[in-house]
Amino acid sequence: MPRATGVRSWVLWLVVAAGALVMLFPFWWTLVSSLTDQTALGQSPSLIPDNPTMSAYRELFSRTPFARVVLNSLGLALATVVIQIATSSLAAYAFSRLEFRGRPVVFAAYLATMMIPMQVLLVPLFVQMKSWGLVDTYLGVLLPSTVSAFGVFLLRQAMNAVPRELDEAATIDGAGHLRIFARVVMPLIRPAIATFAVLSFMSSWNAFLWPLVILRSEELRTLPLALASLVGQYATDWNVLMAGSVVSILPMLALYILAQRHVVAGIAGTGLK
Amino acid sequence: MRHHVRASAALAAVAALALAGCSGGTSSDPTSGASSDAGGEPVTITYSNFISNGGNEDNLATIVDAFEKENPDITVDVQTLPYTDYFTALQTDLAGGTVADVFDMEYSGYAALQQSGVLAQLDGVDGSKYATSLLDAYQTDGAQYALPSSFSTVVLFYNKDLFDAAGLDYPTSDWTWADEKAAAEKLTDTAAGVWGDYQPIGYHEYFKTVAQAGGQFLSDDGSSTAFNSPEGLAAASWLVDKSGTVMPTAEQGAGTADFDTNLFTSGKLAMWHTGIWMFGVVGEQDFAWDVAVEPGDTQKASVLFSNGVGVSATSEHKAAAQKWAEFLTSSSTMADVRIKGGWELPPISDQTALQGYLTQGTPDNRQAVFDSLDATVLPPSIGDNQAQMQDIVTEKLGEAAAGRMSVQDALDQAQAAVDKLLK
Amino acid sequence: MTLAPERAKAAPMRATGRRQASRTVARRRARWWALAFLLPSAVPLVLFFYVPMVRAGWISLHEWNLISPMRWAGLDNFRAVLGDPTTAAVFWHTVQYVLGYLPLVLVFGLGIALALNRRLAGRDLLRGVYFLPVITSWIAVAVVWRWLLNPTVGVVNQVLAWFGIDGPGWWADPTWAMASIVLASAWKDVGFVMIILLAGLQSIPAEVNEAAVLDGAGPWRRLWSITLPLLSPSVFFVVVISLINGFQVFDQVYAMTEGGPGGATQVVVQQVYDLTFRYGQAGSGAALSLLLFAVIMAVTVVQLWGQRKWVHDA
Repeated sequence: MPRATGVRSWVLWLVVAAGALVMLFPFWWTLVSSLTDQTALGQSPSLIPDNPTMSAYRELFSRTPFARVVLNSLGLALATVVIQIATSSLAAYAFSRLEFRGRPVVFAAYLATMMIPMQVLLVPLFVQMKSWGLVDTYLGVLLPSTVSAFGVFLLRQAMNAVPRELDEAATIDGAGHLRIFARVVMPLIRPAIATFAVLSFMSSWNAFLWPLVILRSEELRTLPLALASLVGQYATDWNVLMAGSVVSILPMLALYILAQRHVVAGIAGTGLK
Repeated sequence: MRHHVRASAALAAVAALALAGCSGGTSSDPTSGASSDAGGEPVTITYSNFISNGGNEDNLATIVDAFEKENPDITVDVQTLPYTDYFTALQTDLAGGTVADVFDMEYSGYAALQQSGVLAQLDGVDGSKYATSLLDAYQTDGAQYALPSSFSTVVLFYNKDLFDAAGLDYPTSDWTWADEKAAAEKLTDTAAGVWGDYQPIGYHEYFKTVAQAGGQFLSDDGSSTAFNSPEGLAAASWLVDKSGTVMPTAEQGAGTADFDTNLFTSGKLAMWHTGIWMFGVVGEQDFAWDVAVEPGDTQKASVLFSNGVGVSATSEHKAAAQKWAEFLTSSSTMADVRIKGGWELPPISDQTALQGYLTQGTPDNRQAVFDSLDATVLPPSIGDNQAQMQDIVTEKLGEAAAGRMSVQDALDQAQAAVDKLLK
Repeated sequence: MTLAPERAKAAPMRATGRRQASRTVARRRARWWALAFLLPSAVPLVLFFYVPMVRAGWISLHEWNLISPMRWAGLDNFRAVLGDPTTAAVFWHTVQYVLGYLPLVLVFGLGIALALNRRLAGRDLLRGVYFLPVITSWIAVAVVWRWLLNPTVGVVNQVLAWFGIDGPGWWADPTWAMASIVLASAWKDVGFVMIILLAGLQSIPAEVNEAAVLDGAGPWRRLWSITLPLLSPSVFFVVVISLINGFQVFDQVYAMTEGGPGGATQVVVQQVYDLTFRYGQAGSGAALSLLLFAVIMAVTVVQLWGQRKWVHDA
């Protein structure tokens, strides 16, 4: 039996690794195109750059104040993550652990906010932000993403999986809801929080439509807006766009690697046996 | 990627722009009627644009610098958005009442904006500085509501080397569709991946080719379509029949962003119908290339595109805003920057300034640009339903080009759908 | 395999009459606690979703091009939208997308999650690779996918040609355009499904499986009888979220085909966008979104209701 398992997992590994290569291929192409000179970039780039050049990256950094743009996006994304984790986990606890009348309805009302396309809320939301004088401010970008129904849903699912006798035990020890929330439940759902952190960061990092309409000043611009401005009306330097894409992926990747460690550590450290 | 063909439209009576145009009148002070708050408190005005996006940001900055130097009390705060997203942002701004003091528009969008009352009336504009026909295009009931910021047209680009190799004469301004077709067939060499011709199959080419065939896109009073006619059918067939014979099909990439540009610059396209804004993009190549006036069928008809700028009716600094709008559209700095930078052409009346355009290098035959303006076609302009009409026509023609319906069926369906919008 | 639930029952057994009495007090107190816990999210939710939603509802009752003053239209927009054959078409295209996309990401996401939950060499790296597409932005990704699926020179069709298959026209062909979008979306989202299911798998206590091994259950049996039931809450979550997002598919369509060719990939939200920002019919755009909202709501409610039937411990 161990031998059979060995062969089997070897085959499995091959399949998974081959799949990973397939997943990676579009990135390889992104990378190759970003290293190709514009004139060499036909409608279908080659697989290996003949004459790798960093000119697209130089162009990228000269055309947009990229450092500033990355910093804007980073700040907004980090703020979004922290705020969303706070608001979502609190709400998730209420839906998972607190009995109150109309809970399913309130929960449905939370979920409902995910079901309306942003495109139709754009104008009403903008009018509202304008009346508060928040057009062209960081706060204006941030406010609508201070809460994530998705996060509430995700964290509620995670909390539902936490055995209730742990709460009971804590209650008997005299702990209130705040303490159960902070000391019992939250540490146990760290993998879900790490997952949510990555996804929440990503949604802020890639957000386009809302920042497009609410932001004015060049200094406040975020990464996707800068990327979009590389797409010209008549002609686009695709290599520069691809370079921008590579640059925009990197911070996300770093965060993911960081969070992934946390996911594993979270599992190992729960003492949940 | 939405590769918008110019959504602007052609203008009437451009003959006035031809070299015989009006000589500039007296250089009256352009700001005479608009200097109430200029010269007093320093003000900052905002300018939202798409025209400089994608390579002309520095050119615009040069114009802004010159303006601010001349008007030390006015600061221009520029916001540049990509063409595709500009209109979403503009619509939201107009709905929210946060539109910039000065903002870009396309000619096709002018009527809708003017009717909605968001454009401030511009009094005291020195009309002598502008090409009359362009200036008139942005007037309603005799009053000026916006200013033209540029104009451009579509010409026939051709690869001289390919013509030489095939032993063919270069296109001239006398060419007709038949000449173009004959040459395109000889030049197409599918084995070598060389195509004879490329003309986008869609609304912006269609209304022009209908005119070239001697027909009309809309009826005289604009209350119904007129393109479902023998001329309209000839025009549609002219475009559709190219696909797959002398021109790549959609499956082969036609219609994809930059596909045609790449095909031409890689020396694999002999003739190409595209805008003069591509002069700078194509630039110097390994092969020789030039341009000619587009061939016609029963008559010549070239399209004239124009962008404009308006001043917001709700602007708190209308005078300063108008001053900037005028500088942006008529100053010699602007004309200079536009001509030297290979940007779209300045909408000015000063022919000596425009002459400089003829000697700006590749392509040599820049005279064809001005010659094109001898016969232009009126744009079908229908107001709020403009974009929908354009989408319908482009979609149906595309279906015909892909062979999924006959050209006649495509016209029938397009006619039915567009007529409904006109009611 | 009912180990966990049995354990969960054990604790309350200790409770007796005293607890019964204090339960009503606790419940009343819980209501206040619930309010306190919900407030930080409820306030922004009302301000930034419900207020604009009500305004969108108001817009749907008007004729409005976003610029001129609104004109009262009553239910005309709804009538127009329901009577327009385009509406049925865009819903059908959206359903096509969902039907293609959901099984694809679910099956592959589950397979990858199960595989990468084992101790494979380079597991963390592999997880990272599968997750990588999730963090990219459609702006650039769409371009790459158009290259890949290019009907004549694209890599995908070249690979198919090796096997003697004449590849389809992908995004240039109305029959295959939606498949192209589904494929690109599945590539981008499979990592999302994987990471959610991995989190679910990791919260399954190891000793449950160990006990089953001791009982002599084989790997397939353990998968069907232990892993999948215990994973069902996560699967449920993924299905609900994917359906909610799938019905609102837009970015990839806008970036890859813009609704073409011949309108074959025009989806609901693309239509909402066109109506609102391009066709000067914000009222109809709002009406169509409310219709979409009702559909998604109905689909979700059915799932929440069906949750009891197949989701373990719901």
